[in-house]
Amino acid sequence: MPVPVPVGVLRLPRGPDGCSRGFSPTSPRFQALLGGREEEVGAAQEARAALRQRYLRGLAAARGRPTHFSLRAGVRVDAVFGAADVEAVAFQVDALRTPLGVEAAALLRCTDVLAFSFLLD
Amino acid sequence: MAMRQTPLTCSGAPMLRQGDTGDWIGTFLGHKGAVWGATLNTDATKAATAAADFTAKVWDAVSGDELITLAHKHIVKSVDFTQDSNYLLTGGQDKLLRIYDLSKPEAEPDVVSGHTSGIKKALWSSDDKQILSADDKTVRLWDRSTMTEVKALNVAMSVSSMEYVPEGQILVITYGKTIAFHSAETLEQIKSFEAPATINSASLHPAKECLVAGGEDFKLYKYDYNTGEELESYKGHFGPIHCVRFSPDGELYASGSEDGTLRLWQTTVGKTYGLWKCVVPEEENAEAAKARTTLPGTAEEEIGNALNCQFQLS
Repeated sequence: MPVPVPVGVLRLPRGPDGCSRGFSPTSPRFQALLGGREEEVGAAQEARAALRQRYLRGLAAARGRPTHFSLRAGVRVDAVFGAADVEAVAFQVDALRTPLGVEAAALLRCTDVLAFSFLLD
Repeated sequence: MAMRQTPLTCSGAPMLRQGDTGDWIGTFLGHKGAVWGATLNTDATKAATAAADFTAKVWDAVSGDELITLAHKHIVKSVDFTQDSNYLLTGGQDKLLRIYDLSKPEAEPDVVSGHTSGIKKALWSSDDKQILSADDKTVRLWDRSTMTEVKALNVAMSVSSMEYVPEGQILVITYGKTIAFHSAETLEQIKSFEAPATINSASLHPAKECLVAGGEDFKLYKYDYNTGEELESYKGHFGPIHCVRFSPDGELYASGSEDGTLRLWQTTVGKTYGLWKCVVPEEENAEAAKARTTLPGTAEEEIGNALNCQFQLS
């Protein structure tokens, strides 16, 4: 019987990438089998991207401007908009005018903020 | 384009992998217990899983989404689609076979009773007109339209695996150290082989030339189906082997083991297929020689405790 010859392997099988559950919509298999739905997926994704961009530009435009916040339970305050964190958990504001006085710097919980407005020049 | 095959593996969470390369496609997330059984439908667009959380689930195998959850009264061990993917057969510790109409998942399933111990495996046979089911000591054949038992076979020891081969109507059963082949229509034994160790799973090559089996001694055995001669045995796994299965084209077989790996083995060693690249000696240079693996004909990947594997052409 001939001695078995070691066989070359191009690479090892790819494993799970740890963070996602896979089934990538960009994979050839997904495209081939569910590619028909691509048009509506594309349009929805574009709309989402446009809205996200508008939101981020809005936050950037608010920076440094006097802003009026409508909070829960009918509370309304004025402050100078500072920054928002990545997940929009909190807004950092300067010169927050409260019934107790003016706070030089403060954090407003986004879950408490119903709306905020500022004037564009 | 070459055939694409996708095996399904069970570990903590069931994973879908490309059959010819073993590349991970996705993980089905949702079960809250050990997954005992998994299967793909004919075109690998749907998957079904059976779990210790008393549910069987049907999944979209392209997007990974959970489609249907079917509540049971005990651990579910086995799931099988009909060829048209319209019905799902389930069996488990509550000793009942259930047939679900997947177009009406809310409706009560048809229930077949008769087993006196927990069902380990349930399969459609004879063009989905019959059902084969195995518990600890018996293998039973049922007629689907009348929902009654046609034949029963008593098995000497606890059945460890059962597979149905449509071409030739062959039933492959393993128990103890025995690999047995029965007629799927009459349950009469065709032939049987004895292995050196307790066997947990066996698979017949599509051309019925050879079969592979694996079990408690960590080794894989290859037998000539016609003569029963042991052709080869393969070492590689570090734990008991629980499942072996040939791919539909017979070019490779997969083995799943308690050691946490799923291994793909070439049927014809040296052939270029999947990730195996046949290197002709004259083409070798220093770089190529460094890249070669020393294990003959295996490619492995750590994925978790592999209990079950199945191939499906897509």
